[in-house]
Amino acid sequence: MGEISALPTFGVDLDRAQHVAGTHLIRQRFHGQYAIDPFGADPQLQDLLAPVVTRLAPVRVTGASHIPEHHPALFVSNRGLGVLEPTALSVAVRQERGRRLRVVGAPEVPVLGDLLRKFGSVSNYPSDLRAVLRAGHLAVLPLGVTWLRTGGGVAPTDLLVAALGYPVIPVLVRPGGPLGLPLTPWKVVIGTPIRVGEIGDRDPLSAAELAEAAREAVQSLA
Amino acid sequence: MRVLITGMGGEFGTRIAQLLEARRDVTEIVGVDFVPPRRRLRRSEFRRIDPRDREKLSAFVEEFAPTAVAHAGVYEPGSRLSPRMAAQYTESSGVVALGAAARAGQLERVVVRSAISVYGRGRGRPGVPDEDAPVAPTTPFGRSLLALESLAADLGRRNDIPVAALRMATIAGSHMPSPLGRVLRLPAVPVPALADPVFQLVHADDAARAMVAALVAGFDGPLNIVGPGAASVWQAVALGSRIPIPMTGPAWRVAAYAAELAGAPMPPHVTELLTKGSAADGSRALETLDLSGIRSTRDVCTELYEWATVMALRPDVPIAEVSRG
Repeated sequence: MGEISALPTFGVDLDRAQHVAGTHLIRQRFHGQYAIDPFGADPQLQDLLAPVVTRLAPVRVTGASHIPEHHPALFVSNRGLGVLEPTALSVAVRQERGRRLRVVGAPEVPVLGDLLRKFGSVSNYPSDLRAVLRAGHLAVLPLGVTWLRTGGGVAPTDLLVAALGYPVIPVLVRPGGPLGLPLTPWKVVIGTPIRVGEIGDRDPLSAAELAEAAREAVQSLA
Repeated sequence: MRVLITGMGGEFGTRIAQLLEARRDVTEIVGVDFVPPRRRLRRSEFRRIDPRDREKLSAFVEEFAPTAVAHAGVYEPGSRLSPRMAAQYTESSGVVALGAAARAGQLERVVVRSAISVYGRGRGRPGVPDEDAPVAPTTPFGRSLLALESLAADLGRRNDIPVAALRMATIAGSHMPSPLGRVLRLPAVPVPALADPVFQLVHADDAARAMVAALVAGFDGPLNIVGPGAASVWQAVALGSRIPIPMTGPAWRVAAYAAELAGAPMPPHVTELLTKGSAADGSRALETLDLSGIRSTRDVCTELYEWATVMALRPDVPIAEVSRG
């Protein structure tokens, strides 16, 4: 697990965040000498934009020790409107472990879908989530939308089937400012990993059990 | 093991024969195709039979009575044959050769070449399907391979033998005739204006190794065979120092005509790859078969552009010296 994803391509690591050198970059891009992974992610572009995103969405992380150093895992997080919480969690994972995060739920629309995939989104299919975890990556599966941005929404059981046997880590992401405004650093609370079933298991009952446990664990962090 | 190789005349089939020749547990190797093998084979027997000549093919296979079949008799549209002819050859080769092999009564295992095109591409389909993902092909090539897989699986069930379907990414290599390779080697290549789809390739040698490994192991079921990593369409064009020509909507139809005029036909599965990508999760095959050293998609893509151009041959210089430069 993780061996393929860790293969450096043109010096780019698909799992570990890296520093990009500006002068080198333009020549590499012009000659096609950059890495792309099967999910469409472009790590070099991610590394290029990371400082900007970190500045726009600073985070304060609690429970960072639960973020795996090397192995695959699935974060389940609350979701207010959509992309903000996964973005804050990406910043947290990069800041605390120097790893990249795949966000499950790339929309199937032209242009926007492709663009989000370049920055680490993957499609909303069990097969894609299985492939991400098998390749040794960290992924986040946002729960159903809760408009107040707290607590755990509905957990997608059909997708969690793919996570059986892998560590599932509950996460609560909240804007730091008053009235839920993102004025101060985002608060990212990482919970204790849950593990249900065996890797490759397809038992729907175990998946339902995992979904309920994940929702409750996110709720308990609120 | 007495092995029948269908499609032995292609680069892929010939390579399978070479790999099998190196094995002691393979006692006899017999191949059929409508063109002769592309490399020297030492102990394989080849019979030139047009797959559409059903009687001749059936009689030959039944007489040989193979214990194993490596079914490489899958003809990629636009590779050597037109899409219509390729579909006919693929269908006939599968139905007749596999049927006759089963009737002969000695068959113990079968491996068929398929492709990740069987998963289809686009809305409602995963981007990186594994072997458990639903199959819903969106091109004629994918549909013809799904029909072949169904036929082979049915044969396996009836005869209670293992049947492996190796779903390959686009097979490529500097010596492999491939419609995608021809398109990417054009001086100017059509690319999607508003997208940068991701695709995977597998080297012809690695694809042949996978066929032999699955045959020897007696693997049962589907397996995705893809070169690790991926490349995007824009990236592939940049790697080859080609000129990208952004296309959208109906312009793709014009691009397909222009490419065909330039000697690089673009059948639907190639257009689909260029507009929507083509990828799959190949981790199960890496865990199951010995495919150590499998070349990455990027390496295969780079090799596509290393096709030797024109070499000046002088009568006084041996060819080996010319190719060494």
